Amino acid sequence: MIATAASNRRWKRIFLIAGAILAAYALLAPLTSLDAAQSANIPLLADKFWLRIATSIAMFVVMATAWNIIGGITGYAAFGNVAFFGIGAYTTGMLVAKAKWPFLLALPLAPVVAAAFAILVGLPLLRLRGHYFAVASLGVGVAVGELVQNIDYRGQPVFGGASGLFLPIFRIANRDLFFFYLMSAAAVLSIAVTWWVLRSRFGYGLIAIRENEEAASVLGVNTTAYKVASFGLAAALTGLAGGIFSQWNVFVNQDNVFPIEYNVQMILMALLGGTGTVFGPAAGAVLLYLLIQFLGGTLPISFDIPFVSTDARPIVAQIILGLLLIVVVIFVPRGVIDFFGGRTRLSLSYLRRSLRETSL
Amino acid sequence: MANFVQLVILGLLAGGVYVAVGVGFGLVWGVLNIVNLAHGALVIIGGYITWQLVTALHLDPFLTLPVDAVALFVLGYALQRGVINRIIRAPLLFTFLLTFGLNLVLVNVLLLIFGSDFRSVTPAYAGKGLEFGSIVIPYVALISLAAAILLSAALAFILNRTRIGLAINAIAADRDAAQLVGIDLRHAYAVTYGLGAACAGVAGGLIALIQAITPTAGEPYTLQAFVVVILGGLGRVSATVVGGLAFGLVEAFGQSIPGSGSVFANAIAFGLMVLVLVTRPQGLMGRLR
Repeated sequence: MIATAASNRRWKRIFLIAGAILAAYALLAPLTSLDAAQSANIPLLADKFWLRIATSIAMFVVMATAWNIIGGITGYAAFGNVAFFGIGAYTTGMLVAKAKWPFLLALPLAPVVAAAFAILVGLPLLRLRGHYFAVASLGVGVAVGELVQNIDYRGQPVFGGASGLFLPIFRIANRDLFFFYLMSAAAVLSIAVTWWVLRSRFGYGLIAIRENEEAASVLGVNTTAYKVASFGLAAALTGLAGGIFSQWNVFVNQDNVFPIEYNVQMILMALLGGTGTVFGPAAGAVLLYLLIQFLGGTLPISFDIPFVSTDARPIVAQIILGLLLIVVVIFVPRGVIDFFGGRTRLSLSYLRRSLRETSL
Repeated sequence: MANFVQLVILGLLAGGVYVAVGVGFGLVWGVLNIVNLAHGALVIIGGYITWQLVTALHLDPFLTLPVDAVALFVLGYALQRGVINRIIRAPLLFTFLLTFGLNLVLVNVLLLIFGSDFRSVTPAYAGKGLEFGSIVIPYVALISLAAAILLSAALAFILNRTRIGLAINAIAADRDAAQLVGIDLRHAYAVTYGLGAACAGVAGGLIALIQAITPTAGEPYTLQAFVVVILGGLGRVSATVVGGLAFGLVEAFGQSIPGSGSVFANAIAFGLMVLVLVTRPQGLMGRLR
């Protein structure tokens, strides 16, 4: 192949610039919904609906990027990260709804509690490897949600029980805009943290653990401390997103902050974009979230799937998603970001090669 | 005391279903190194086949179990040969995601065909049982346990006494060496997954007898299969049988805790699993490999 290092670098620069322009547009367009902008006759580029979608995307960017720290960089397939999202959401939710704390004071405690929990369960769990760690972390994710919903004290549910937790509305001008920027700040923070990790001694230790844990330990990496720190860092970021979500959504229950699907979605996003990279999980989150909403028919830009009634549509969307997942896993195991400025370009021979590498 | 004996009996009988769910899952995990997240979907397909045969032909539900096994064997063989074999050399995350995708497709296809209504199978002898004083042994649970033990024995026979079973054991021990001595890996892998799916199908038939099923009812069983296999220990059918019965007992006693014991079913199961993983990773009956 004639694709030289120079041309690859050029492609990488083109995609980075395009991504930066898109991100800048996404961050600035919502400003047109301000009253000042409206009175200055600037056209409305983002209505309430798009703002909600953009905030959700930012939330998934945080989750996928945070998962990447433990799953992509450290190489531990955590399947229960949604527990940290839920713990963050319930921490802020309980402090605001029951203890009447102001939201901005309650928010910083969400990542702290989530990270503390991660360190506590991480100490025993991170001794497990491979499937065992994946399964045990999934178990923690399921069990925490069940405990939070069902713990009673003297017949009263401690955490709001099955009916959930209602938070008082946070009074601020331009609420939607405020939460969009708050969530975006969390997304930027998580990407910046990943960038820092990949350039630090800490990050090199994590990569060494991923490539060969025994060798890393022989080289003097304190593997237990590094793994637990990585797990705690991922939990803190995920918990932060949960804390913001609880006040943004005003209502918190087991279904909306401990959904099992989030576990798989954040992994899929990171995988789709490229694990172990800085921007990959974020790109994957944007792509996959829009795709899921598009297939589900909740975006204003939509299409009719032929021969499918509107009732069956969500089901067919799930089937398409499943098939897509299968195709991605089989044909592009290194993530789509690999084509854009990575070592390879999308071609038939690339697909054939990745198929041959992994099949029996 | 009678209460205690009754709980032990009910726990062991309920364990039968977990044995059936666990053996197939453990086989696929132990031999192919795949944690099969589509296992629950395969279980529920078995349940729907039983339900369909019972409603259409008025067969005794236990007579439909061989049909479940054969149908699911064919489906499992095709899935492994056509799809899962393609990623068998990829890291474990990929097998996780692939089987999750399969689960999504299978469950939603079931939803398209059968809708989300609850379906149940109730034979004439449901609710009746042997009575010894105050202790009752329900017929359905008793036959289910017998069927599960029979299934495990049949699986153990296939694995230890037939040519393909020996090939499967050889693969579990060393894949590359097995290939060197002339074992057709693609076929043997597909047979292994097919056997696992057949066990799932039988488990589904048994589950249709004890609860109303919907297309999404299989997911808890995937999680419980994990716990059962880890409890018993990976690698042997007999270990999974012990794990399944132990899990049934734990669940029966967990639910009898006064207050809200039953809503913590998952938390108890996973708490137990994490405890076993951390203190005795090879399982109750397992050997370190």
